Amino acid sequence: MGASDGIELLGKPRGPGSDTMLGTPQYKRDRCVTGVHGLDEILRGGIPYGSTLLGGGTCGSGKTTLAMEFVVNGAAMGEATAYFAATEPSVKLLENVRQFSFFDMDMVDKGLINVFDMDVTYSWLGLTKATFTMDDVNALVKAITDIVNTIGVTRLVIDSVTTLCYKIPNDQLIRDFLFTLGKTLATQGCTTMLIAEITSVGMSHGGGRSLWSSFGVEEAILDGIMVLGDIDRRGHLLRYLQVIKMRGTDHSRAKYAVELTPNGVMLTPMLKWGVDV
Amino acid sequence: MDQRIAEQLTEVTLNSSVQVRCGASNAFLVTASLIEPLITEFEMQGVYISASRGALELINTLNEIGVATENVHFIDCVSSALLGGTESTFPNISFIDSPIMLESILLRTLYHLNTIPADSKFVILDSVNALAIYNEDRMLAEYLHTLINTFRARDVLSVIMNVPDQTPPGVLANLDLYCTDLIDRGQVVIS
Repeated sequence: MGASDGIELLGKPRGPGSDTMLGTPQYKRDRCVTGVHGLDEILRGGIPYGSTLLGGGTCGSGKTTLAMEFVVNGAAMGEATAYFAATEPSVKLLENVRQFSFFDMDMVDKGLINVFDMDVTYSWLGLTKATFTMDDVNALVKAITDIVNTIGVTRLVIDSVTTLCYKIPNDQLIRDFLFTLGKTLATQGCTTMLIAEITSVGMSHGGGRSLWSSFGVEEAILDGIMVLGDIDRRGHLLRYLQVIKMRGTDHSRAKYAVELTPNGVMLTPMLKWGVDV
Repeated sequence: MDQRIAEQLTEVTLNSSVQVRCGASNAFLVTASLIEPLITEFEMQGVYISASRGALELINTLNEIGVATENVHFIDCVSSALLGGTESTFPNISFIDSPIMLESILLRTLYHLNTIPADSKFVILDSVNALAIYNEDRMLAEYLHTLINTFRARDVLSVIMNVPDQTPPGVLANLDLYCTDLIDRGQVVIS
């Protein structure tokens, strides 16, 4: 084969249906486009529809901003969304998010963004105890899924699931809660982001336990794990995001620098020589 | 003003990356001679990454010699290190905590470029040698590689200023490789 044959081969179209490996038609799941700058590129198009994703992060890493942007971008595309606020009152949450240009209060007024105070939901269900039983957990899952059903929610955020899980007395019950919630919401076509507070990110040394979640039981059950953390670069904290796992899609597993701009979260690949400074 | 810089700029395209070498004594003259034609002659708008000096000082000095700065957004990487340095009334200045936050500088630049309505945009990085004070050579070379390619892909003219004798040789060599054009106003060293 001469050089000209090679050029001829390179010039051949390799679209779907062609007999080359690259051209093999592949099944692709529909995506929930997050609209967050850079995130859909990391996820090769977005979160697979109906997935339940854990967004774990350290304090100040941008979890709430990212989650709110995810919801707002859905609402901007005409989707009904819901945000369960467990770490701060909804009034305060909305006041904080108003500084971002992506947010529009009209979306709340029009019912595209529905913000619920978790405390109010607990009171409404009569869950005033410090610790939940299996029945309480089931009642909570039912209440959330009823809301999703009634409003037709396609994007849901619980911020944070850690606060909620602290009320569940053991790992098995937490596992059951997350599994049931994820399964029920997936059947309703709802893409869910569960925000988790973690104190440090990565693999623990010696113990062999991953530090992607608060309780260590979430990562196996949920469809995706995305962590947000900080890198200390000579005394300056640089925010980063890393997708650890996402079922149903290929994705980057690299660390991405996060910048919180007036227009929301922006991502760029972290400098390789700057990760461990 | 150095009119030859304006003449040389007529030869570059929007996706060019121009390395501008200057000396320690003519750095401001070169800066002014770069910005002025970009804004007035080519009617461009852009972002100026200021790592050599505070943006407030730069704006005031440029305004004094008649260079308009309203259509340029300044990203100031210097003033946060000075107490009270970030107290500015100019809406076209934003501050970065430190020149070590290279990714933040890139993302802030992208953000401000997105807010600029002009079709023709530029980014001026002032300067590589200032960033070299704070950043390790390999990281800086990687950053410049990323920065130049990011803006070339977006058809944004990138202008990278440096004082060659104060820039690490490895970084300078990489810069020679990545940049498409060179405007050399470096000092002549007489040995």
